[in-house]
Amino acid sequence: MGPLNAMGLLNPGALYFLAIVPALIIAYLARERPRQATVSSVLAFRALHVMRGQRFGGRPRFTWTFFLELLALCLAVFAMAGPYLLKKGTPIAVVIDNSAAMQALTPSGKTRFENALAATNEALDREGGSGQVTVYVTAPQPHQVSGAVSGIGAAHEVIARVQVVDAPDDPVALATLLGQLVSDGHIGRIVFAGYRSIAPPVPARLVPIMAGQPIANYAIGSFALSRETFGAADLHARVTVANFSPAAQALKVTIAGDGKPIGAAQATVASGEVATFDFPKLAPAEVYRAQLDPSDGFALDNTASATGSAVKPVAVLFVSPTPADGASLRSIPGVSVESRAPAAYNPKDLANFDLAIFEYTVPKELPAVNTLLVMPPPGDPVFNFSAQSAPRVEVACWPTTDPLTDEVNFRLLNFRSGEYLGQHPWMPAVVTGNGGGLMLSGSRQGHRFVATGFNPFPYLGRENLPMSILTLNMLGSLAGFGAQTSGYRTGEPWIVPAGVTAIALPSGRRESVQAGTLFTSVNSQGVYQLLGAGGQKTLRAVNLADLTASDLTNISPISIPAAAASAMPASAIVRAPLAAYFLAAIIALIVIESLLVYRRPRVVEVSQ
Amino acid sequence: MLGLPEEFTPEFIARLDQLRIKTRREFAGLGKGTHLSPRRGSSLEFSDFRHYSDGDDFRYIDWGLYGRTDKLYIKLFKEEEDLLTYIFIDASASMGFPERDRKFESAVATALALAYVALASGDRVMIRVIAGRGTPPPPAFVYGRHRIVELGRSLTAIRPGGEVDLAPALAREMVSIRRAGKVFLISDFMMLPNVATRGLGLFTAANMDVTAVQILGARELDAQGLNGDVEVVDAESGERVRVSIGQRERDRYRETLLRLAREMKVFCFRNGLHYTLYTTGANFHDFFLRAVSDLGLVH
Repeated sequence: MGPLNAMGLLNPGALYFLAIVPALIIAYLARERPRQATVSSVLAFRALHVMRGQRFGGRPRFTWTFFLELLALCLAVFAMAGPYLLKKGTPIAVVIDNSAAMQALTPSGKTRFENALAATNEALDREGGSGQVTVYVTAPQPHQVSGAVSGIGAAHEVIARVQVVDAPDDPVALATLLGQLVSDGHIGRIVFAGYRSIAPPVPARLVPIMAGQPIANYAIGSFALSRETFGAADLHARVTVANFSPAAQALKVTIAGDGKPIGAAQATVASGEVATFDFPKLAPAEVYRAQLDPSDGFALDNTASATGSAVKPVAVLFVSPTPADGASLRSIPGVSVESRAPAAYNPKDLANFDLAIFEYTVPKELPAVNTLLVMPPPGDPVFNFSAQSAPRVEVACWPTTDPLTDEVNFRLLNFRSGEYLGQHPWMPAVVTGNGGGLMLSGSRQGHRFVATGFNPFPYLGRENLPMSILTLNMLGSLAGFGAQTSGYRTGEPWIVPAGVTAIALPSGRRESVQAGTLFTSVNSQGVYQLLGAGGQKTLRAVNLADLTASDLTNISPISIPAAAASAMPASAIVRAPLAAYFLAAIIALIVIESLLVYRRPRVVEVSQ
Repeated sequence: MLGLPEEFTPEFIARLDQLRIKTRREFAGLGKGTHLSPRRGSSLEFSDFRHYSDGDDFRYIDWGLYGRTDKLYIKLFKEEEDLLTYIFIDASASMGFPERDRKFESAVATALALAYVALASGDRVMIRVIAGRGTPPPPAFVYGRHRIVELGRSLTAIRPGGEVDLAPALAREMVSIRRAGKVFLISDFMMLPNVATRGLGLFTAANMDVTAVQILGARELDAQGLNGDVEVVDAESGERVRVSIGQRERDRYRETLLRLAREMKVFCFRNGLHYTLYTTGANFHDFFLRAVSDLGLVH
């Protein structure tokens, strides 16, 4: 820092408050001048205590307390005006990469992050001085750690509090931040410590610190659970792994369910390639953990977690004059059914369901979910089916490659009574009988629709295997597998689900939350516990799941815009605010006055 | 009533008619009256004997004494004369404060009531106003109850004002008083006790029968309700004293005033003077009629 140059005011308008100084004088005089009262005789008053601190008699007599208070008032006004000193100096911006990739170990045995902190502190010591230092970190999004601190010592303390996170960095946002800092003429030096290099030309004021060389790495890219098939109880795991090393490597993935090994797979993955490992029919468990071998210098992406609760069930709305038919669907694993009479049906209810089934009825408007229409009544204004009842319907033709009819032995199907559906404008027949269509399928407004001229319900399972297979095919086609993991990633906030009042982080720390708000403490990889007010607990796995961050060999440099890179510092003058000193002085004056006033005798006895 | 303070209601005047002034000494009057005089006269009150002389009325010869002594003695009787009543009213500035207490108005009402009692009893009354602004009544005795209106008009036109040193002021008044009589001194006595007693001592030294009537204001006793830092100004001397007044100070102030009043009372009792205190907050009629004895009056 250079010598004092000048003093200025951030808010000179506040000086108008100096106009209240005369008001203070008047108030002081009013306070000090006693009220006058004419009495018949002062004889008896002489025996009383005279007023404390005999002061002036009607004429102003300014005491030291007056000037003390006047000084305090003036200081308060000046503090409001925001005084500052202009100093010559070199404000420094420190940008520390604290993203997940900085956890990688270097040959020295220290992590990239530890090296970066040490190198940054050394760079600051070289800069020296007592100027302002502002510290930024890069993950999960670039942001300032705290306000500008004065002095290298204070900067070291701020840097020591910076912690590496499990979230990947955002190179674009980082480039933007560096560009802004470089183009800011008031910043004399920018120190950037990270694992990414700066693409030339490197701005003169930017001091890049490379925290580690590229290293070989094997990574789990994703760990997803799904239901084996629609209605199946078993889960299917799929793990993608990547080999970011110069040579092909045999990679082994081990799956543990609630801590017990339940699956393993191994394959040789070529350099720079990504492989997928499938683990069918995993035993049910709350938490699944995938472990990649061999281990490497970046342990974070060698593990990944998934939770069984993430495989969400298929929610079915069953609308029928005979709602009991829908209850049989509850025997299908992963299916939840809510039955409702047609009169109680409200289209808004569909928002809570994955698919709808209308038996012997049709909605009055096109449903906003995939829908199965069982023996729909003819002539409705929405679908306008034409149907012809038959005491016994027989299948005449069916496709063998359609997912709706896959593995269904139609010869064994006994439909009994039913109806033949006539030609439909946008739902062509998939299965036809002698009298017309028995199963129509089509899509409208982004949703799939299937209509049947026979009733597959109740669902009897193994007791009516052909019909059960056909039913599962229809529901599977309409609902999909419905079995995707949520895929939560570190650094990506999520909305707190309804009913959740607290979330326990992988570290064990618990945070109170409010449903519907954004939860941002997602910088750690692991399993989060979502806790409800009633004690219910839901597990949610959050993984790095970013092969870009795991690729520690091919690291793209950061390109700072040319215009920003060429910017020169417009000024090396910084403002040192003085308001805090003014306030401290005011407090000191008040304390001094209080101490001295209370030491003075309050009354003086007048002897007659 | 016309020219008289509002206190003079017909009922009050009727009660005053029943009162008369009682003196502890006998004073010579200027005419026939109802008070025993040191002069010998024709009242029923025996005074002395003297040897019979030619021309004496045989009716006053004490024949019993003649039988025992064989000498003729004439019985002498006391004369009954009117009483010379002097009423002094302190009209200094202190009597005007606190204004709402109307101390001077109370003093005037007291003076007029005493004057009425005297006039109604056939006594002569001279009212002297010490200090004050306005025209005081002339320094002459008035006689007859009808003169009360004249006195009332004269006194009610006077306003308190000026500074009074009581002892010298009374000494000046004593010069103009040729005959002894009954003296009423009405004042707030807001002065050092020795000043007041020195003034009263002048009358006792002149063989006067004195009644001191002290008038204090109700608000005056409560330090005028003053509170906080106050600079009090003496209404007469202009002396200023700054005080911080709270409830405790008001209590002390009241105690001081009452202590001064007690000292006055003790002085009066020890020197054979009548003394009474009237606080303006009280009902004037009740005060006057209940303090008959203390005022030196009798029914």
